Amino acid sequence: MRISNYIYLNCFSLCIVVLMVACKGNTAQEKQYTDIQVTDFRGQKLQLEQPAQKVVCLIESALSGIYMLGQQESVVGVPGDVYRGENWDRYADLDIRIKNKSLPTPGNWDFVSLEQVVGLEPDLVIIWSSQIQAIENIERFDIPVYAVMLHDIDDVFKEISDLGKLFGREERASELIGFTKAELGKLKQIQITKNRKTAYFMWAQGINETSGSNSMVESLFQLAGVKNACELPDEHVTINIEKLYDWDPDMIVMWYNEKLNPADVISNPLLKGLKAVQNENVYELPSAFECDFWTLKFLYSSQLVHFWAYGNTDMSSEPAADAMLQFLYNNNKTDE
Amino acid sequence: MNRKFAITILYVLPIPVLILSLLIGSSVKVGIYDIYDLLFRPEYSSDLTRTIIFDIRLPRILLVFITGGMLALTGSVLQAVFRNPLVDPYVLGLSSGAAFGAALGIASHVIPVKLSAFIFGLVAVALSWFMARKNKEVSIVSLILAGIITNGIFTSLLTIVQIMSDPFKLQSIVHWIMGNFHNASWDQLSMIMLPVMAGCIIIFVLRWKLNVLALGDEEAASSGLNPNRLKIWVLLAATLAGSAVVAVSGIIGLYGLIIPHITRMLFGVDNRRTLIYNLLLGGSFLVIIDNFSRTMAGYEIPIGVFTMLVGAPFFIWLLKKSNIGWQQ
Repeated sequence: MRISNYIYLNCFSLCIVVLMVACKGNTAQEKQYTDIQVTDFRGQKLQLEQPAQKVVCLIESALSGIYMLGQQESVVGVPGDVYRGENWDRYADLDIRIKNKSLPTPGNWDFVSLEQVVGLEPDLVIIWSSQIQAIENIERFDIPVYAVMLHDIDDVFKEISDLGKLFGREERASELIGFTKAELGKLKQIQITKNRKTAYFMWAQGINETSGSNSMVESLFQLAGVKNACELPDEHVTINIEKLYDWDPDMIVMWYNEKLNPADVISNPLLKGLKAVQNENVYELPSAFECDFWTLKFLYSSQLVHFWAYGNTDMSSEPAADAMLQFLYNNNKTDE
Repeated sequence: MNRKFAITILYVLPIPVLILSLLIGSSVKVGIYDIYDLLFRPEYSSDLTRTIIFDIRLPRILLVFITGGMLALTGSVLQAVFRNPLVDPYVLGLSSGAAFGAALGIASHVIPVKLSAFIFGLVAVALSWFMARKNKEVSIVSLILAGIITNGIFTSLLTIVQIMSDPFKLQSIVHWIMGNFHNASWDQLSMIMLPVMAGCIIIFVLRWKLNVLALGDEEAASSGLNPNRLKIWVLLAATLAGSAVVAVSGIIGLYGLIIPHITRMLFGVDNRRTLIYNLLLGGSFLVIIDNFSRTMAGYEIPIGVFTMLVGAPFFIWLLKKSNIGWQQ
């Protein structure tokens, strides 16, 4: 082989190597972009070129998820109910902007101010998937929408996992999911085969309002090892007292209620014939924030219900709740 | 002189109201200087300002104006046809029919919400008409009674849909019924234009005959008019326009009752003139009220809340001040 040919061959090889490296570089870059891809609860694929930096979150439970991921700095708009009651106290501890009420509230449930949302120039909007018209309007302005609808605990895990991807915090999302699953595993290990108790769930609207088999309450009770007294399929249902007597649950679990407490239920003459009332097995979840079923905090509610039903003292102590909240929120308190 | 002045004011009122409303909004990023830039120095204007002004505020303001105008216009027309000052556009079951249709659309996702509301609004009025029809004639009393029955039927059907809906959908249904414009867009505006224009044209063509009809069927017949046919046309036109605006706005209670009364107190009862006054006053007033609705809080507040809170005291004040009140 002539020397010149040898040089040409080497140059050619070098070019090929450079091209391959360059192509590999591009592929890596493309991969980085297409990695941020999730399917929301409508079944719509959502693709972001980079992790979300400016997010309008119109769901309080999803906002909790974002704070658990440590991404509160990315939030530029929150739902109106964050500034009310207990929510405000708790979020004020986590974010100075919420304490000062300086984060805009472009929506609350169906009442979304399109002008405010567009004006905030978000690169992602998180909203309930049932808000079809609002979603259509926001997407008209080419703003990506992640639509949420939570029916069971797997949905909560999916939501956190998706948010982890959208914010570039997959590791933290895995850590949160891993922690919650491990804690739930401990509950599952305690097999309740005999004397499985039945529980009736009472929403804040009153004793007639409960949830049936297709609900987060059903998932919660299953994890806690108790049986939902309400056998109806509905997610939310109004029943009459006679039906409650038919079911005659072992215990009544009340959602956090500002107007009623277990003593009121126990002293209600209409309910005095119920087993749960006679045995004074009526309990109230202590806080809507700590017991939020639509976040990873359902773990705490499950532990509490299990404790109330079977008296397992390993679960439900206040320090355990504090430790859980500290882990989930990663001590994300902002400095004043 | 005073009345002429008031009429002149009424004719020009929509212009400043619409322009000022364009300047008002919930976004902190679009101020008066941004709008100045947009109008007079477009090269300095941002895309965001353009989007908020032309794609969000403008279609909403126009939609609100048309809705307010149509509710007042149809309310006025129906009061003339029924010769009853207590009538509003919802008297024949339009609101309950539309609410049921919207609820069905929200709960089932099978039919678009607005289309469903529009269709069931028409169905409810048609049902009232056929229930009231006897021996090919329709008396006013039986028509109003049939409207009450239709309202009852569709309210019951609405309740059934609400009971069967999950909490999210239930909330959406309740919110739709409260009335709102936060989803206003050019698409919605173009969607209602055809029925609204058709309704308006029919009503304005027949406007002088409304005065004769308001005297009573016999008087109308003796003037050479066919009162039954005339009623059908007027009701058809009012229902078309009314259903279209209710489908996009939800139910704005009592607006179609109050504005015609205000117009009557201010400008008299001649339908040839008051129809246009109703249109202008109804449109302008609802735009003013909607400004509260979209700017009072960061999020939207249903406009139905403000139509009563702002409209009712004004109406009562006018009622006490006016010499043409219904006490006489």
